[in-house]
Amino acid sequence: MEERNDWHPVALSTSIKPATSAGTRLFDEELVVWRDTGEATHIWEDRCPHRGMKLSFGFVRGDHIACLYHGWQYDAAGQCRYIPAHPDIKVPPAIKVKTYGAAEQDGMIWAALGPDLPPLPSRSATETLPVRSLYLRGGTGRALNLLRDHPPRSFTQEAGPAQIEPVSPTLFRIRAGTDALLIGVQALSGSRTALHIVIAGPAAAYQGAGQLHFLRWANALRHDAETVQVEPAATALGEAV
Amino acid sequence: MPALALYNYELDDACYKVRLALSILSVEYEAIAVDAFPGKEQTKPPLLDLNPLGRLPILRDGDVVLHGAEAILAHLARAYDGSGKWLPAEAAAFASVMQWLQFAASDLSVAREAREQALFDAPGDGTALSTEAARMLRIMDDHMTARSFAGASWFAAPHATIADIALFPAFALSRDFGVDHDEYPALRNWARYVRQLPGFTTMPGIPDYH
Ligand code: FES
Repeated sequence: MEERNDWHPVALSTSIKPATSAGTRLFDEELVVWRDTGEATHIWEDRCPHRGMKLSFGFVRGDHIACLYHGWQYDAAGQCRYIPAHPDIKVPPAIKVKTYGAAEQDGMIWAALGPDLPPLPSRSATETLPVRSLYLRGGTGRALNLLRDHPPRSFTQEAGPAQIEPVSPTLFRIRAGTDALLIGVQALSGSRTALHIVIAGPAAAYQGAGQLHFLRWANALRHDAETVQVEPAATALGEAV
Repeated sequence: MPALALYNYELDDACYKVRLALSILSVEYEAIAVDAFPGKEQTKPPLLDLNPLGRLPILRDGDVVLHGAEAILAHLARAYDGSGKWLPAEAAAFASVMQWLQFAASDLSVAREAREQALFDAPGDGTALSTEAARMLRIMDDHMTARSFAGASWFAAPHATIADIALFPAFALSRDFGVDHDEYPALRNWARYVRQLPGFTTMPGIPDYH
């Protein structure tokens, strides 16, 4: 699948605090997204090489993540460094978690499943404020149709209809008056999609009331997605707009 | 012997709410082990005299006997919290705590049912229960997302209250009934703050990060 090779948003930057981890999925593959205490983000297969438990259940210590089950610790490169049951052994290099490309920009954390890392699209915003990650039933095409059918109203001024335009195969920009939102589209699976929504604009203009304005829009969009029949869209990611 | 006695079952999430509050407020108590599973001791006399509903937890504090975790939390806050913060007196914060306590005791009890179905084979349609529990957790996540825009980290006040204690177990134990934390970023963040409360304690199913 070619689109595996793109950069995909997997979380809002603000959702993964330093020294925390979370599980997510991309094309139904389970991933752990974690941030070390130095604030760097890491995206790995969510599977401990020991017994296959989820690393996202584990906890971060410094620049290591520890598996919850038997405490094996992995460094930022995915290499196992410490096995509590055998504190004195030198851990064989083969005990290594599968790692993926990780990057951070536009207020989101991005994953590339590889094998080759594509170039990261250039930045779309100098300053962003989080709105929310919205989890929706259905594939990415349906989510994009919903966005197109339920555009937000502007926060700062009354304006004509919102415009939605693709920035990359997985990132869309919505303009409503002088406001701009960035929407990262994550294919969790063929039947579940996450929209990662940020405001592209200064905190001074949007913090608090502006975020709430677009949160209400996002929640209403989800409400419509769950109550109103939407045309089932066969279109793939990136072709729907 | 401490003045307080808690009729307790270690694996019960509602008993855990009370243990968590007692630990955070540093109140000494005696835990009286109840054979809730498989014995269902709480549904029979003599415990039925203490709570005719046949449920845990039950707290005895001198002459006061209380059942229902949320009522017990309110009692503990009023009786043992010198700071007055855990159940604030100010009207708006007090009402907000009450709103979330009620949510925890009623709407969110579906999470308890889902978990008991999954762990103890209690009656009910497991899938339907956990779907409904996930919907309740989403209401909590939506609330905390909006709270975060104002820089607030807690459900009902600028600081932690007994509402946070009453809501915590359903989220922390959700994997027991097959609901992962992936889709609740605001609750993940809130749970991290709960874990950092002085006196925080875990129960089986809630990992202790060592
Ligand atoms: S499964 Fe991860 S340490 Fe054992």
